[in-house]
Amino acid sequence: MAFIEINGQQFEVDEDGFLLNPDTWIEDVAKYFCKEEGIDELTEDHWKVIKYLRDYFFQFGIAPMVRKLCKDTGYSLKGIYELFPTGPAKGACKLAGLPKPTGCV
Amino acid sequence: MAQARTDIGPPLYKEMLPPIIKENYGKWQYHEIVKPGVLVHVSETGAKLYTVRAGSPRLISIYFIREICDLADKYCDGYLRFTSRHNVEFLLSDGSKVDALIAELTEKGVPVGGTGNSITNIVHTQGWVHCHTPATDASGIVKSVMDELFEYFTTMKLPAKLRISLACCLNMCGAVHCSDIAILGIHRTVPKIDHDTLHKVCEIPTLTASCPTAAIRPNPKLKSVEIKAERCMYCGNCYTMCPSVHIIDAKNDAVSIWVGGKISNSRIGPRFSRLAIPFLPNNPPRWPEVVNAVKHIVEVYAANAQPGERMAEWIERISWEKFFEVTGLQFTDKHIDDFTLAQTTFRSTTQFKW
Ligand code: SF4
Ligand code: SF4
Repeated sequence: MAFIEINGQQFEVDEDGFLLNPDTWIEDVAKYFCKEEGIDELTEDHWKVIKYLRDYFFQFGIAPMVRKLCKDTGYSLKGIYELFPTGPAKGACKLAGLPKPTGCV
Repeated sequence: MAQARTDIGPPLYKEMLPPIIKENYGKWQYHEIVKPGVLVHVSETGAKLYTVRAGSPRLISIYFIREICDLADKYCDGYLRFTSRHNVEFLLSDGSKVDALIAELTEKGVPVGGTGNSITNIVHTQGWVHCHTPATDASGIVKSVMDELFEYFTTMKLPAKLRISLACCLNMCGAVHCSDIAILGIHRTVPKIDHDTLHKVCEIPTLTASCPTAAIRPNPKLKSVEIKAERCMYCGNCYTMCPSVHIIDAKNDAVSIWVGGKISNSRIGPRFSRLAIPFLPNNPPRWPEVVNAVKHIVEVYAANAQPGERMAEWIERISWEKFFEVTGLQFTDKHIDDFTLAQTTFRSTTQFKW
């Protein structure tokens, strides 16, 4: 497995660059990932989605369904894509340090 | 990112139609199979479209694509199409060029056929070439089976169409659940769990919910899950959802054979394929056991079915017990459904043949 270094700290990531352990996530991880997911700068809107995803994940053990994400944050799917050009899964979940989506993606 | 051109859809198919098809779109009157692999469609305007159908291995290089493009340039003014079973069709407005095209295809080793009561191409999946959940390979078995059944691709001597499909796991990407003969990869061992990584890379509720027999339950102490071995039937769905559950097992993964599926509504309605052989070993590179089994079923069907009768129709006419008798296949406890709607598959009549 590969490691990335952020401010002198090592983080284990998989071959798609997803953080391997959600517990090790810090805000700098999201800042580090944002460029490669097509985001120039993380705004308050971005943080709102990221915080929501992390809260949901630690409460329920899963990432929310897209409809749930949109309903609870108030962003439309189009709005989510404007914030995270690579989408809610590859973009937002990755920045939030959630496990990589599985199944027939 | 801002300038990316998105949501433009596929190119409009009409732009790629040969002029003869454009001009006669919706005006076709009838068609005939001239000989194996060659069709002629006749329009109400009198125009005649000749189609030469050739096999393809589906998994093809760009060099192969360029070669068939060259042939299309030479014989069909640059037009060709792929069928829903991955055969290539060359579309000719000039019937006098058909034989020259066939000669050149044959010389290149591309067989012409797949029409009428033949065994056409095998619809298949990724196998060990690209997927992470297969229990067997796709391209390898397909090549082995088509080599053995090649004469049926280039002739039309079967009672009816015979569709063979393959899927390398029971996700059944493709058509195995509705084919005359289906080849399906299966596992036979309970998945092993990597407890150290599971809680980091998997969503545990998703994982437990993925199991059709509810064999998985959380193990909070380990921050992981456990599998009740006696409830597991090795479907591998849990592995699809969670990379820390490992089901692939080189020794025990195997191949099963299914028969009697169809999708058309002609004569009898569509049918699901049903289990014929629960287990054959994975034996690369030629899978002789699988090839022999498929060939045997084809031959028994060919010898016994009436003209026009698909596999499903033949079996339903003679009954499943006779199917097992004439094919000599063993009927085992594995053949008896024990899933949700099992009861509907049991016999609720005294009608049967000794
Ligand atoms: S059938 Fe299964 S193993 Fe084969 S391509 Fe589909 S998902 Fe992958
Ligand atoms: S292999 Fe299938 S039946 Fe067995 S535990 Fe996994 S999901 Fe359940």
